[in-house]
Amino acid sequence: MKHDEHLPDQQLLLDVEGEISPHDERLVRAHLSACWKCRARRQELDNAITGFVRAHQREFEAKLPPAAGPRALLKAQLSQLSWNAAGVRSGWPAFPRAFAWGAALCGLLVFGFLFVRSTMERQNLSDRHALIVSTPDSSLTPGATLLASRPAVCAQENIKNKVVPIALQRKVFEQYGIAGADPHAYEVDYLVTPALGGADDIHNLWPHSYSHTVWNARVKDALEDRLREMVCDGSIDLAEAQREIATNWITAYKKYFHTDQPLAEHCDRCVE
Amino acid sequence: MIAFFDQFRDPLLRYLSSFGLAFPDCEEVLQEVFLSLFQHLDQGKSSDNLRGWLFRVAHNLALKSRYRIRQDFDSRADTGAAEFAVDPTPSPEDQLANHQTQLRVLAVVEALPEQDRRCLFLRAEGLRYREIAGILDMSLGAVSISLARSLARIARSAER
Repeated sequence: MKHDEHLPDQQLLLDVEGEISPHDERLVRAHLSACWKCRARRQELDNAITGFVRAHQREFEAKLPPAAGPRALLKAQLSQLSWNAAGVRSGWPAFPRAFAWGAALCGLLVFGFLFVRSTMERQNLSDRHALIVSTPDSSLTPGATLLASRPAVCAQENIKNKVVPIALQRKVFEQYGIAGADPHAYEVDYLVTPALGGADDIHNLWPHSYSHTVWNARVKDALEDRLREMVCDGSIDLAEAQREIATNWITAYKKYFHTDQPLAEHCDRCVE
Repeated sequence: MIAFFDQFRDPLLRYLSSFGLAFPDCEEVLQEVFLSLFQHLDQGKSSDNLRGWLFRVAHNLALKSRYRIRQDFDSRADTGAAEFAVDPTPSPEDQLANHQTQLRVLAVVEALPEQDRRCLFLRAEGLRYREIAGILDMSLGAVSISLARSLARIARSAER
């Protein structure tokens, strides 16, 4: 390093970052004590770090989705994994071969019995859930919205039946304990529709029965259209519309359509 | 394990977003990362520098996830890209606040080459140069050049 040359950014940054070797550090410090230009440049790089860190943090502060749902999902997956691992670790004791064959045969019989029973249980569970999922579980699906304004919401096209990625749909089914249910019987629905500023977030998604209840996905679609119209013509606040639909969409439907039952035109496939 | 999740979830999410993945996809990658960590520790493997390990595994899984998503896009031509795009409209709060410098910095960062952006994001999460080099499979010198280049651009944007 020559004393009459200015230090390159890379070397100044290594110094700022404490990543410089002791030998180079001495040279850099000697140069900096004599060169105002390099000291100013070093300060600029330091300021750039500050500027980036602030912008980076602020950018994500508002955007990061809440951790509660993913945390619960991880917990469940870990306990499943631990259970499986414990099963594998317990392993086979060192039986003589004849005993091992006998045990394997017994195991097969038990496995067959358990398999048949679990299939039947799964079927029962699916049926049970198919009958009840017309309102979301608020602990799993409290609703999530983007920071969108009324003009922004109304300027965009009325997004209907936005496709939810398959992997995410699967997660929603798992969270609701209906992993084995027929996916065609449900629409993985946004609680707060994207047309009203609803977010692509698992906390805003739930499996809504298509035809097993009176209050099915098609009826909710009608409410979403109604609320969007009201938001855009100024007769209701966007935040209020989001809150109403997230709190209890059936109550909101009754309120805004002045009825206790879905209207016939919204309910072509409703069954009692 | 859950304590690790609480500690590293946000830094990892921020880093994963540098791959252009939507938050639901980032969350999915994160689940895989922590399940892999569980298996890693369960098999009695090294617990040295788990932070570096987590970022490296997140990096590799994010690349795979992005590849899968791109394949998915290609196979579903009728699904417009706009469907997954983030709404660029700033919120009213943002419009009111004076965030000009911040927006300029973010625009510069957005325009950086992908590898430079990753270096910057990893450094912002507190990883040292050696760890970044390990995660991104680069030399130490390349990390240092990349960061200097990015910060010089950011510094230039602040002068405007």
